[in-house]
Amino acid sequence: MPTTNPDSQRLMLRVENLSHRVSLETNTLTILKGVSLEINRGESVAIVGRSGSGKTTLLGLLAGLDTPTEGTVELDGSIISRLSEDERAKLRAHRVGFVFQSFQLLPALTALENVMLPLELAGMDAPEKRARELLERVGLGERLTHTPRQLSGGEQQRVAIARAFASDPAILFADEPTGNLDNRTGQEVSDLLMDLNKEQGTTLVMVTHDEHLAARCARQFHIEAGELTEPVAEAELAD
Amino acid sequence: MAAAKKLMSMRRDWRERDVRVVLAALIIAVATVATIALFAGQLQHTLVSSASSFLAADRQLEAENGQPVPEEWITEARERRLQTGRMVEFSTMVFGSDAFQLVSVKAVSNEYPLRGELEIQGDSEGSREQVQHGPAPGEVWINPRLLRLLDIRTGDTLEVGNRNLTVSGLLLREPDGGFSLSALAPRVMMHVDDVASTGVIQEGSRVEYVYLFAGTEAALEGYYQWLQPQLGPSHEWEGVRDGETFSRSLDRAESFLLLGGSLAVLLAAVAVAVASRQYALSQRDTVALLKTLGLGSSGIGLLYLKRLALWGVTGMVGGLLVAVPLFWLLTRLLSEALDRPVEFQLEASALTPALLTALVSLFAFAYPPIRRLKHVPAMRVLRSQPGETGREALPDMLIAIVAVFGLVWLYAGELSLVVSLLGALVLLLGALGLLGWLLVAALRKVRGGGHAWRLALVGLYRHRRASLSQIAVFAMTLMLATTLILVRTSLLDDWQAQLPDDAPNHFLINIAPDAVGDVADFWEERGQPLDQLYPMVRGRLTQLNGQPVKEVVSKDQRVGALNRELNLTWMASLPEDNNIVKGSWFEGDDKQGVSVESELASKLGLALGDELTFTIGSDKITETVTSIRTVQWDSMKPNFYMAFPPNGGLTDMPATWITSFYLPRDQKSALNEFSRRFPTVSLLEIDNIIERIQEIVRQVTQAIEAILVLILAAALVVMAAVVSATLQDRQREGALLRTLGGRQSLLVRSTMLEFALLGGFAGVLGVAAAEAAVWALQFRMFEGQFSWHWQVVLPIPVMSALVLALFGRWQLRPVLSVSPMLLLRRLE
Repeated sequence: MPTTNPDSQRLMLRVENLSHRVSLETNTLTILKGVSLEINRGESVAIVGRSGSGKTTLLGLLAGLDTPTEGTVELDGSIISRLSEDERAKLRAHRVGFVFQSFQLLPALTALENVMLPLELAGMDAPEKRARELLERVGLGERLTHTPRQLSGGEQQRVAIARAFASDPAILFADEPTGNLDNRTGQEVSDLLMDLNKEQGTTLVMVTHDEHLAARCARQFHIEAGELTEPVAEAELAD
Repeated sequence: MAAAKKLMSMRRDWRERDVRVVLAALIIAVATVATIALFAGQLQHTLVSSASSFLAADRQLEAENGQPVPEEWITEARERRLQTGRMVEFSTMVFGSDAFQLVSVKAVSNEYPLRGELEIQGDSEGSREQVQHGPAPGEVWINPRLLRLLDIRTGDTLEVGNRNLTVSGLLLREPDGGFSLSALAPRVMMHVDDVASTGVIQEGSRVEYVYLFAGTEAALEGYYQWLQPQLGPSHEWEGVRDGETFSRSLDRAESFLLLGGSLAVLLAAVAVAVASRQYALSQRDTVALLKTLGLGSSGIGLLYLKRLALWGVTGMVGGLLVAVPLFWLLTRLLSEALDRPVEFQLEASALTPALLTALVSLFAFAYPPIRRLKHVPAMRVLRSQPGETGREALPDMLIAIVAVFGLVWLYAGELSLVVSLLGALVLLLGALGLLGWLLVAALRKVRGGGHAWRLALVGLYRHRRASLSQIAVFAMTLMLATTLILVRTSLLDDWQAQLPDDAPNHFLINIAPDAVGDVADFWEERGQPLDQLYPMVRGRLTQLNGQPVKEVVSKDQRVGALNRELNLTWMASLPEDNNIVKGSWFEGDDKQGVSVESELASKLGLALGDELTFTIGSDKITETVTSIRTVQWDSMKPNFYMAFPPNGGLTDMPATWITSFYLPRDQKSALNEFSRRFPTVSLLEIDNIIERIQEIVRQVTQAIEAILVLILAAALVVMAAVVSATLQDRQREGALLRTLGGRQSLLVRSTMLEFALLGGFAGVLGVAAAEAAVWALQFRMFEGQFSWHWQVVLPIPVMSALVLALFGRWQLRPVLSVSPMLLLRRLE
C-alpha cells in the first residue's frame, strides 16, 4: 500500500539504508551497501562512478525496476518494496520517465508510435497530438513516420527523450544518455534533456560517465564499490 | 491504442521468422488432421456404400421359404421413405434353338438395382455399357457363355417355361454378383412381371424372394426395429456382408492415415514448441521495455494471450483453407477409383480433431514459454539478465507430452500406437543422453585450430547444449517421418503381395468328386494349373456346447455366418496364407477336431475345447475346437470358416469341390470349351472385380502419398524452426570469425561439417528409434511380420547429414555476402 509521508510535499525520492545482494552459484555478491539519500522535487542529480561500482543497479532500484535486498525506496510518496509488481508498473506509467544508453526504441514502430506507446499504456487522451508536439519540440517534426533503423543514433535518442517526457512524468531516470553518442551529438542531446527538464519541472536522476553532463546537474552522488562516498551529498542532506 | 495494437498486429507478427514457423506448423497440423479425418470418414462411408452395391441395395430381406413376404411390409418401408425393389431367384431349364441348359434365373423389378450398376453388352462384339436397370418385360439378358452352350445369338428367343423371351443383351456384371458362391449355373436375368406367365414357379418350387431397401441409415435402422419382431426363421435381413471384398485393405489404409495424422500432430507440436520458445526468447527485451513503460504483468500476459488466440484462429482458418481443396481432390481420386460419384461432404464432426489439434499444440506447447514472458524482469532494460536454464521448462514439457499423446490417442483411438511411439521416444532420449555423455567425454580433448574438422568438432563441443537439443529434435523428426515411410512401404508391399497380377481371378465350383481329376487335367493341359482343390460341404452351425447357437449368441451380434449355410471343408495341411493363433493344426491321422477362423471365433466367443454341432442335411456332426486360425480373406482363393481333419466325420458327407485359378484375359475363350465339357461345373468370373480392387488400391496409395507429402512438409518446418533458433548466434560467430581473419572457405567447411555431424548423429538415432516403433506397430496395428528395412533406413542418416550440411551452408549466406562489419552491426 502506498504510504504517505509528511515530507512528500518536498521530497521526490527518499532512500534509506539500501543494500542489494545477488546470489551466485558459489557465493553472494554485494552490489550496494547501506545507501541513503534524498532528492527533492525538481532537482537534477547525477550519479557518477566507475564501471561496476553499482550505479546502474542503484538507478534500477530507485526507478522501481527491481526491489532491494534491504532498505526502503520511497518514490513520490510510495514505498516501492511494498507495492506489487503491477502497482509498480502503474506508478512508472504515470509518474516515471526513462532514457537509456541504448535508446530502447521498438524497431517495428515509427518514431511517432514509439512516443505514443507510453501515453496509450497510461490511458491518456489524444496520444497522437501530444506525441507530435513532443517530436516537434525535439526537432524531429519531419521524421514522424521513420522507424528507428532509418534514424541516426542522436535522432533515436531524441525520440527516446520525447517518449520519456510524453506522459508528463514527475521524475525522469536517465542511464548514460550520451554513452553511445559522439561528443557533439552527445552535447546536443544533453542540452535537449536539460532544457526539457527545466521546462517541464521534472526531477532528473542521471547515471553518467560524462563529467560535463554531471557538472550540469545540481548535485552529484559518487558511488564506489556499492557505497556513496561523496560528503557533499551528506552535507546537503543535513540541510 | 494504435501503437500498442500495431505492436501486436498480425502483419508485424508475420515479419517474425519464428511466428511464421509457428503459423506454418499450425496450418500444416490442422490441414493434415482435417484432411485425414474428412477423407477417412468419406472412405468409410464410400466403403459401406460400395459394399452395398454388392447387395444392389443398402439392405436385403431374403425369404427362403418360397413365399413372398406380406405386402404391408413393403408398404411400411415405402412409408418410411425407403426405396424398395424386388427380385425372384430360382433355377430352371431353358431352351435355345435345339439345346437346353440349367440356369439360375434372377427376375428383377423396375427399381433394380437400388445401388450399383450392371454391365451389359448389346452383342458379343458390341461395346460394354453400364446401366442402372434390368431387362424390359419380354426380354432377357444372359451370361455370354449361354450363347455357346445353347448355340444362340442376341436377338434370338429363349424359352423359359411357357414363355418365349427375346435375348436383348449379354450380362457381364451384376452389382450383387459379388463373390457369392450361390450362383451355381449361368445367369439369366428377366423382368419380374414375366415370372408368373412362365409358369415355372409351382407350389413347392425352390424359389427365393428377395427384397431390396435403400435409404438413410436412420430410416433403415428404424424399419429394421419395426420389422424384426415379425421375421420368421426363414427370413434373413442382410446388411453389408461379412469378410467380403477389400474392406480389410481399406481398413489398413485408414489405420495408416490415422497414424500419419498422429505423426503430423507430433511433428507440428515439436515445431510449435521450438519456434514459440525461440519467439518468447526474442520478445524478452520488448517485454522488459513495456514493463518499464508501465504495462503490468497481467497486461503483458493478456497481450500475448490475445496474440496466441490470433495465431490459433489463423492456424485453424489457414489449415482448413488447405484441407478443403485437398479433400476435394482426394474425393475426386476416390471417385475415379471407384468409378462412381463420391459426395464431397464436409462433416463438421470431422473438423473437431483438427481444431483440437491447433488448440492443444498452441496451449500445451506455445503457451508455456510465452506465459513465462511476464516474469521477465523490467531491470532487463538496463542490464541483460540471466536467460532461462531450461529447468523451469521441464514441468511444462511433461504436461505437453501428456497432452499431445492424449490427443494422438483420442484421435487414432489406438493405445498401442501411443505406447509404441512413446516407447520409441523414451528409447531415443536414452540414446541421446548416452550420446551427450560421449560427446562431452570424447570431444573435450579436441583442440581447435586451422583445420575445418577440428573447428567443426570444437564447435559441436562448445555448443554441446544446443547441439544436443538440435540432435534431439532432428532425431525425433526423422524418427516420425521414417516410421511413416517404413509403414507405408510395408503396407504397399503387403498389398502388392496380396493381390499380385496373377492372383486367381476365376472360381470353379460344384465339381463332382469323380470329375476332379479331369477338371485339373483340362487346365493343366492349357498351361493354367489349378490352385489347390478343396472339398466343400454345405452346413449350418446349430449348437455351441450343446446349446442352440441362436440362443447363445444374441441376435444383436448379427453374425452373418450363423444366418446362412457355411461352406465346410476338410484339409490335410494348413493353407500357406492361414496362420494358427491358438491351439495346433491336425496331426497326421487326427480324426477329431475343427479349426475355426479367428474373427468368427472371437465374435462367437469360442475357445479351444468348445463343442460345435453342425447340421448337414439331416445329419449332425459334433466336433471340438482344436485350433483357431487367421484367414487371408482377400487372397482370392477359397477360404473357409471351418476346417476339419481329412479323415474326420465330414469326409462321409456329400461334397463337391471348389478351386480358383488365374486365367489371362486373352485365354478366356477356353472357358467356353470348359463349359461344354463340364456343364455341371459352375464358373465364377471375378476378374472385373479384381481389376476394380487393384485400381482402388492404386488410388488409395496415391491418397496416402499425398498425405505423406504433408507430413514431410511438417518435418521440414521443424527443421527450419530448429535452424532458425540458432541462426543469429551462428551468424554473429561467423561474422566475428571473418573479422578476426578466418578464411571464408574454412568457415564454410567447418560449418558444413558441424551440421553434417549433427545430421548424421540425428539420422542414426532417429532411424533406430523408427525401427523400434515400426517393430512395435507392425505387430499391433498392421498384423504384419517385422523385418529390417536396410534399404530404406541406410540412406536416411546420409541424407539427413547432407541436407543439414546444406542448411548450414545456406544460413551462412549473409555472413559471406555482406561485410562482417555490416553484419555485426545489423545483428546488434
